[in-house]
Amino acid sequence: MEQSGKIGKEKLSCRGITKSFSSSSGNFEVLHDLTFDVYENEFLVLFGPGQCGKTTLLYMLAGLEECTEGEVFHNGEPVTGPAPSRAVVYQTMALFPWMTVWDNVSFSQKVRKAEKKVIAERTQYFIDLVGLTGFEKSYPVQLSGGMKQRVGIARAYCSDPDVLLMDEPFGHLDAQTRYMMQESLGKIWENEKRTIVFVTNNIEEALYLADRIILLSDCPSQIKKEYRITLPRPRSLVSPEFLKLRKEITEQMNMSD
Amino acid sequence: MRHNYGKIRVVLYGAGTFLVLLSLWQIAAMTSNSEIGFPTPVAVIGRFFHMLSNKVGSYTIWGHTLWSLSRVVIGYLLACVLGVVLGLTMGWFPYVKALFKPVFDLLRPIAPLAWIPLAILWFGIGEKYKYFLIFIAAFVPFTLNSYAGAVRVDRQLIGAARMLGASHSQVFFRIVVPSAVPSIFSGAQVALSNAWMTMLAAEMVRSSEGIGWLIIAGQGINDMTQMIAGMLAIGIVGFLLANGMRLLERRCLVWNNQGK
Amino acid sequence: MKKKSKLKFQIISIISLIAFFAIWQLLTDVYRVIPSTMLPSPVKVLQTIGMKWSVKKPDGSTLPQHILASLQVSGLGFCLGAVIGVPLGVIMAWWEKADLSLKPVFDFVRTIPPIAWIPIMIVLLGIGVVAKASIVFLSAFIPCVINSYTGIKATKTVHIWVAQTFGGSKTRTLFKVAIPTALPYIFTGLKVSLNSSWGALVAAEMLGSASGLGYMIQMGRLLSRADLIVVGMIVIGIIGTILSAFLDSLEKIVVKGEVR
Repeated sequence: MEQSGKIGKEKLSCRGITKSFSSSSGNFEVLHDLTFDVYENEFLVLFGPGQCGKTTLLYMLAGLEECTEGEVFHNGEPVTGPAPSRAVVYQTMALFPWMTVWDNVSFSQKVRKAEKKVIAERTQYFIDLVGLTGFEKSYPVQLSGGMKQRVGIARAYCSDPDVLLMDEPFGHLDAQTRYMMQESLGKIWENEKRTIVFVTNNIEEALYLADRIILLSDCPSQIKKEYRITLPRPRSLVSPEFLKLRKEITEQMNMSD
Repeated sequence: MRHNYGKIRVVLYGAGTFLVLLSLWQIAAMTSNSEIGFPTPVAVIGRFFHMLSNKVGSYTIWGHTLWSLSRVVIGYLLACVLGVVLGLTMGWFPYVKALFKPVFDLLRPIAPLAWIPLAILWFGIGEKYKYFLIFIAAFVPFTLNSYAGAVRVDRQLIGAARMLGASHSQVFFRIVVPSAVPSIFSGAQVALSNAWMTMLAAEMVRSSEGIGWLIIAGQGINDMTQMIAGMLAIGIVGFLLANGMRLLERRCLVWNNQGK
Repeated sequence: MKKKSKLKFQIISIISLIAFFAIWQLLTDVYRVIPSTMLPSPVKVLQTIGMKWSVKKPDGSTLPQHILASLQVSGLGFCLGAVIGVPLGVIMAWWEKADLSLKPVFDFVRTIPPIAWIPIMIVLLGIGVVAKASIVFLSAFIPCVINSYTGIKATKTVHIWVAQTFGGSKTRTLFKVAIPTALPYIFTGLKVSLNSSWGALVAAEMLGSASGLGYMIQMGRLLSRADLIVVGMIVIGIIGTILSAFLDSLEKIVVKGEVR
């Protein structure tokens, strides 16, 4: 477990968090007693089968959902609601359709009333970083799915968050675009290191991007196993080590408890 | 299901039917011997062009149209400002909704035209009564659609704005207001045709100028030609107004129209 | 927590409504800020409703008689408008030749608000049920055509292809695929029609009639009986609401399982 050598300090800490929804047919538990930490500048992937609990878990980290039991800490402070220090990249992108790419990306700076010059520089920097140079004046409807999600990533980055929370950001994209976006995100992250928590149900995506993978079980989700991924970046999807890990995790996932 | 007919056919068929109908009207009017004296289309169009440069009452048809338009514009703009403000705040602030929605819902079902007698009692038969009626007619759709727009804001966009650091009032002005704009525009269309119609009724009930007056004055002297020419003017201006609004909408909502 | 705040807003709403009526009563009967010739007090309105239930004075008919007269005319006009308008819209949308030849004429006619037809109808048909019903007909007819036309055009080409590959004829496809798709639109059209025709009826009765609710409020103005006007407005509002609610529930029964 100590192969990677240096681990940053803890950014997010989950302590025994449980989430259940009550409906007319009784209580339905989706997350059961999860305890884990997210370290500084780490790319953590929450990986698990099906539709159960992963997005909810991410929203709880963001403060958009309340914990039924347990607590989430961010830099030691309990999380009580959404905050700019934890930016979310949504699966549905959630771009503001009436704003151009430029206005979407600069939104967080504008609402904070930053200096005009700072806004302009920062916005341009992140637009360039995600590869959308030249599309500043386009509206989201004029962009393809992959480009829209680039805007989402740039927007989240530009708000200068402490932690980036990504909820299956490439889930709606076609396979080809998805590969491209994974590659881009990897590069962006190498350039601009941030603490990222990334939710996915795609094993290749998880292995391609992660420093560490937390494998969650099916409903109610519990931590099944943790993997530290030390393959050199950029990773090859067909290298023997990659395929070996992929097989191992898939087998582990399909094994009943 | 979209048909693609080709321009030439559209024009040919359209012009053809118009020609057939107009000639039927022409023949019927020429051969009829009823006492009312139903005019031929040629006479109506002749009168229409005559009225462009000759006065009927105190104005040419241009003057009457301007009077009517000025009434509509004043009542409409007032309704736009107040209706949009009330609708958006009702849709976003629960206190405003609790305070105003019940009274609004109480008054809303009364047809604008049913206000005419009361408006005359309150404001007399001058301009104010017409502004008031047009205001009422446009206010309801403006308020309703702004309200609906504010209520139906995508919750995820609000979450995204919050997480990017927007305050409560910034969420209202930067997210709720712009995302309600398409809905407000469809309200504005309804409000415009309501206002245009109500203006007509208000002028027909009591006025001394305007297109509504032109028509009702025609009725007074049994001049069918003047009445139909007046209706023609109403149709033309109404058509221009509606299309102007559609153009404005397309301009303002580039982000919403593309890709459809 | 949430229940408590909901209750709080309900209380505010109720207080707001009570305040509305209380201020109205205070301004009229109690402090007499507004003379009763301009606005009757709520109490007076209730008294007038009770009185008009059986008394014919001062306008010649009891309230139920007025209501019946208005309902008859609007029922006749509305049903005719729907019976002719909906099929016409369907035909125009489904058969290319009808679309090409009739749509331009219809687009021209609909720019003229139904109210503008009132004087000409009065000259042609006199003051009576036929003139009023034809105004109601026109104002119901136009939205019916527009909405059923849009509804049929909204049928997905794929669905039509599916029907055709299974060997459905053009007419069968219309009844099995296009009309079910259009049903929600048609109902929207009917609701709009009902609203606008009810409003147009009031105008028609004010401008030329000897019975009906519009006539009653017009007489209220001539006799300076503000209480009659307000009673008329309230009844017009209530009946309009009841009719819309009736169509809403009819829609729920008929359009079951349709995807909007």
